Amino acid sequence: MKTKHIIFTVALVMTAMVGTAKAFAEDTEKVFQFYCAQCHGEKGDGLGVNVTKDFPVTPRAFNNADEMNKLTDADLRNVIREGGPIASKSEMMPPWGKTLSEADIDGLVKKLRDLCQCKGKQG
Amino acid sequence: MKTVIIMLTGLALAGLSVDNARADAAAGKAAFDANKCNECHYTDGPAKEKTIDDVLAKKGPELWYAGSKFNADWLGGWLADPKPIRLLAYNSLKEKNPGDHPKLAAADAGSVRDFLMSLTSGDVEAGKVKAKKNPKGKLIFTKKMPCSGCHQYPDKDSAKGGISGPSLVEAGVRLNPDWILAYLLHPSVFKPVKDMPNFVGLLSDKDMLNVSRFVASFQPDK
Repeated sequence: MKTKHIIFTVALVMTAMVGTAKAFAEDTEKVFQFYCAQCHGEKGDGLGVNVTKDFPVTPRAFNNADEMNKLTDADLRNVIREGGPIASKSEMMPPWGKTLSEADIDGLVKKLRDLCQCKGKQG
Repeated sequence: MKTVIIMLTGLALAGLSVDNARADAAAGKAAFDANKCNECHYTDGPAKEKTIDDVLAKKGPELWYAGSKFNADWLGGWLADPKPIRLLAYNSLKEKNPGDHPKLAAADAGSVRDFLMSLTSGDVEAGKVKAKKNPKGKLIFTKKMPCSGCHQYPDKDSAKGGISGPSLVEAGVRLNPDWILAYLLHPSVFKPVKDMPNFVGLLSDKDMLNVSRFVASFQPDK
């Protein structure tokens, strides 16, 4: 009976995970280079390979402390999770909340603060 | 009696047809291996990638659902005369695609096509998507969930869009429209780890259908 219960619980959790963000954290630098660098650049300077003449906005340069200081950590977390429009930013920043784990997003916020060498707006 | 004979003949012919298809696929698998395609592409599903490292270790895309993904005519032609689909080298944000994918001899190309087209996924529902330009799909593709940020697409006389993802300029020729929808609906089946957002829970099924129809309408020079 106990075994059946465990199998049922595991199956339920696996079903709930389909189509949702992965549950474990990857190395933050790998996450940044894999997901973010294509638009924000490998150095986070906003000069990713997708920024062609057709790209309608300039992606955030994470090494720009003045701009990054306008955002709280919660703002950064929300934009990564929900996409640019959640903070009145560009739609070109898509929502990654169904792709990245919460731990991945926490790691990215720290990485962005390392890049800007700033603490951000305190909220 | 006549009806029974006709039915038995039909069943026998259907059986022969299935046997022939299996034989073609088996010959294609042999050609696939002989041409060392298996050094860069795996053909046995389900998806094996669990981490970013798993994805970056790959030399080429997985092909275990190729028969559901590609249009057969395009695939046969491409194998005989491959042209870059990605502007950048596979898994690179730095190097241009060198365009050096091996060409197969005409007979092998047909044979390998038959093998790859035999590899299908039960998660692709046939007959769901008909290619059609539509404003809702275009809005999603270019703005709401900006696919255009990473994928090139045809816009009037030129290609527009980002370059980190595969070009979709010829998506209507290359891809099965039903697979485009299935890929959006079931990302964890086809690519459990990928540098493109999952849109399940963000786009409705109807939105996914609209954007799939829009992408399937892409034709070169249109």
